[in-house]
Amino acid sequence: MILDAASDVVMIVRSGVLAREFCRQNAHAEVAAVFERSLYLRYADMFVCLGAPAIGNGPLTLIADFRPARLHRGQGASISARGIMIGDAARLSFDRCEPWQPPRWPLALSPRELIDVGQAIAARSAIEAPAEGLGRVHAQGRGETPLGRIARGRIARFASWLRGALETDRVSLAESNAVQDLIGLGPGLTPSGDDFLAGALALLDALAEIKAHAALAGAINASPRRLTSPLSGCLLRAAAAGHIGEHLHRAIAAVISGDVDTAVAAIRNIGHSSGWDMLAGATTALSVVATARSPGSRRRP
Amino acid sequence: MSVIVNEVRRSTYLDSIVLMRISRQLAELPGVEEAGLVIGTPANKEILREAHILGPDGAKAEPGDLIVALRAKDSAAAEAALAEAKRLLEHPEISGAPALENASRTMRAAFQRMPDANLALISVPGHFAAAEARKALAFGLNVMIFSDNVPIEEEMALKREARERGLLVMGPDCGTAIIGGVPLAFANVVPRGDIGLIGASGTGIQEVSCLVARAGGGISHAIGTGGRDLRAEVGAIATLMAIDALEADAATRHIVLISKPPAEAVARLVLDRVARSRKPFTICFLGARDLALPANARCAATLKAAAELAMGRAAENGPTQLSLLRADGGKLVRGLFAGGTLCAEAQIVFRQAGLAVASNVPVPGAAAIADANRGHLMIDLGADEFTRGRPHPMIEPSVRDRPLIDALADPAVGVILIDVVLGYGGHRDPAGHVANVINSHDRRPLILASVTGTDRDPQPRDAQVQRLTEAGVIVAESNADAADMAIRAIGG
Repeated sequence: MILDAASDVVMIVRSGVLAREFCRQNAHAEVAAVFERSLYLRYADMFVCLGAPAIGNGPLTLIADFRPARLHRGQGASISARGIMIGDAARLSFDRCEPWQPPRWPLALSPRELIDVGQAIAARSAIEAPAEGLGRVHAQGRGETPLGRIARGRIARFASWLRGALETDRVSLAESNAVQDLIGLGPGLTPSGDDFLAGALALLDALAEIKAHAALAGAINASPRRLTSPLSGCLLRAAAAGHIGEHLHRAIAAVISGDVDTAVAAIRNIGHSSGWDMLAGATTALSVVATARSPGSRRRP
Repeated sequence: MSVIVNEVRRSTYLDSIVLMRISRQLAELPGVEEAGLVIGTPANKEILREAHILGPDGAKAEPGDLIVALRAKDSAAAEAALAEAKRLLEHPEISGAPALENASRTMRAAFQRMPDANLALISVPGHFAAAEARKALAFGLNVMIFSDNVPIEEEMALKREARERGLLVMGPDCGTAIIGGVPLAFANVVPRGDIGLIGASGTGIQEVSCLVARAGGGISHAIGTGGRDLRAEVGAIATLMAIDALEADAATRHIVLISKPPAEAVARLVLDRVARSRKPFTICFLGARDLALPANARCAATLKAAAELAMGRAAENGPTQLSLLRADGGKLVRGLFAGGTLCAEAQIVFRQAGLAVASNVPVPGAAAIADANRGHLMIDLGADEFTRGRPHPMIEPSVRDRPLIDALADPAVGVILIDVVLGYGGHRDPAGHVANVINSHDRRPLILASVTGTDRDPQPRDAQVQRLTEAGVIVAESNADAADMAIRAIGG
C-alpha cells in the first residue's frame, strides 16, 4: 500500500495528461459515479477517473492505491496544486505523482499481413466476445439482437465513409452521419458505438493515417453533445484528440505488430464489452486502411 | 397481452458489468419477455424501440440517464420485475461483487478488529499479494492467498519465511480450503468428519469433499496448497507442512493428497514424508504413472476413486439404466468444464478407456488442442485464454455459452459433457443458466453433467440437479461417472 499511515493521505502515483490539466484548471469538482475500484470526478462536461492501479493508466486517469467504498455520488471535491480532498473522507496528494503517457507506436506490418491479422481477430471475436456489444456483431456479420440489427448497417456505412476519407482529400460534414449514427449506440457505461469509434481512432493514429484520423475526429467533435452521455462523450473527445488509455494502446500496438494473443489479452482488461467494441472499431478501420494501402487500390498517393 | 414498463434514473452511472448482470437477471425472471438497461441516448432509444420495450417514460430520458426497460407477459410480472430492478439498482453489490463498506482497509486494522484470528485470506491484485501476505505473517497469521499472478520467486520466499515462523501459506492461486469446518473461498458446505484433504487443486478438493459428504462421510480439514507447490522450485513446502498438521490433528483419520503429477524429486520428498506417517493416505496425482508408494498409501487414478479409497467403500453410482444411454448421430464427445481438475479427470477416464482425447490443458497422454484432429475434446474454460479480464466460469457461467452453443450446433458432436460446480463464491444458479442456453436450441445431442456440491450449499444441489434434469440433461453422481457414461454412449 502506498499509504502514508501517519496522515492517511493516499498518494496519487500517476496522472494522465488530461487528468492533470483538469486538476490545474478546476478548484472544485463533484463525485459523479463510484465503482468498486474507481470513481469519476466531474466539473461541467469534463470528467477524471481516480482509481486503483489495476484499472490501468489513461489520459483522464489518476492512479492511486485507493478504494472508494466510503465515498458516494454527489460529494464535493476540492482540488489544489498539492492534491484532492473529497468530502472529509479522502485526501489524495500529488507529491509523488508522475505523468503517464503511452509509448510510441511500433512499426506496422505490410497491408497483406494486416488484413490477415484483422481476419484472425475477427475469428477470435466471433467466439470470445461477449454477447452484448458490437464485438460479435461485427465479427459474425449477423445481427440477431436489436442492437445487432441496427448496428450492422451502421458499421458498414462507417466503413464506407472511412474508405471515402482515405481515398479523397475532402470529407463533407454532411456525410458524417455515418459517424454520428454510431455515437451513443449500445449498452454499457460507455456505449458500444463510442468505444467502437475510439478503437478506430486509435488504429488510424497507430498507422499514421493523419488525414483520416482528423476527418473522424472532426466528425465526432462536430456531432451534437446530446448523442451520448456526458461521461462517454468526454472520453470520446479525448480519443479524438489522440489520447487513449494504456490497455487500448497496448492492444492496438499488438494489432499492427501481428500479435493477436496480446491484443485480445489487452482488450479483456477494458470493461465488460468495451474492449471488444474498441477492437471491432480498430479492425474495421484496419480492414479499410490495409485494403486502401494494397497494390491496385484507387487511393491517391 | 404483453406489458411494457420503463423506469428512468437521472444521471446514473453504473459499471458496465453491473448493468449487464442486472439486465440478465431481469431477463431470467418469471414472465419477463425482454429486458434492457441502457443509458438514454437517442441511438439506444432506437434499440429499445426495435426490441419493443420503449415506453413513454423511456422516450423522455436524457443521454446521462439510465433506462430500465422491461416487457412482461402481464402487469403482475412486470411490476415484480420492476421491483427487483429497483432493488438491484439500489444495491448493485447484490448482483455481483459484495459491498466493502465494513471491510478493513489495512491488514493492521483487520487484525485489530479480530485479534484472535489465526488466518488471513488475501485476495488482491497479484502484484500486491506478496506484500499483504508478509504483513499477515508478521502478525502471526497463517495465510491463504487466493490471488494469482504472484511470481514464483515470491511464493518461494513467502513459504520459506512462513515455515521459519511455523505458519502455513496456502497458495498463491489457492481457490479452496475448509479449515475447522469453515469453508474459505470456493468451498462447499460439508459435514465435519475424519478425512483430511490436501490439494493443489480447488475443484479437486471440492469434488472429493462433496463425494465424501454425499456418501455420508465428513471432512476434518481441507488444506489448499496452490498449483505450484509441488514444483521443484517450491519443493512442496506447503504440502509437507499440511501433512504435518493433519498428522498431528486427532480428528483426522485418513489423509488424501490431490494434485497434478509433481516433479519426480518432489514426489519422492512427499512420499518419503507419507511413509513416515502413522496414518493411511490416498494419493491422487491425476495422470501420474508408476508411482512407488509406501505401504500406508494407495493410489487413486480419479477423484472419485480418491473419495472411495478414503471412505473405504464405493460411492453411489446412480441408476444403472444410465449406462444404457446411447448418443444419436455424432460420435464425438465435447467436454466443457468450469473446473480445471474435473477437465483433467475426464481426460484420464478417456485415456484409461484407450480413447484419444485432446485438451487446452492436456494431461499426460492427451493431445494439445492444436493437435486435435476432430476427436474428443475436453476444454477447461477456467484457463487463462477464457478468463483474461473476465470472471471465472464458476462465477460467470456465460463464459461457457458460446462453446456450448457451438457444440450444440456441431453435428459431429454426439455427447456434451459439462460440470456444474456449486458452493460459496460460485454463481447463484449455474444449472439454471446452462438450462436456459440448452432450452433455447433445438438440436439436442446427449448432454451429460456432474454437479459438484451438496444439498446444504448456497445453491442446493438437489434443486440444481432438478433444473438440469428438466432441461433434458442426464446428471451423473460424479464427474468420473459422467465421463464414463459418455464413453459408453458413443460405444467406446
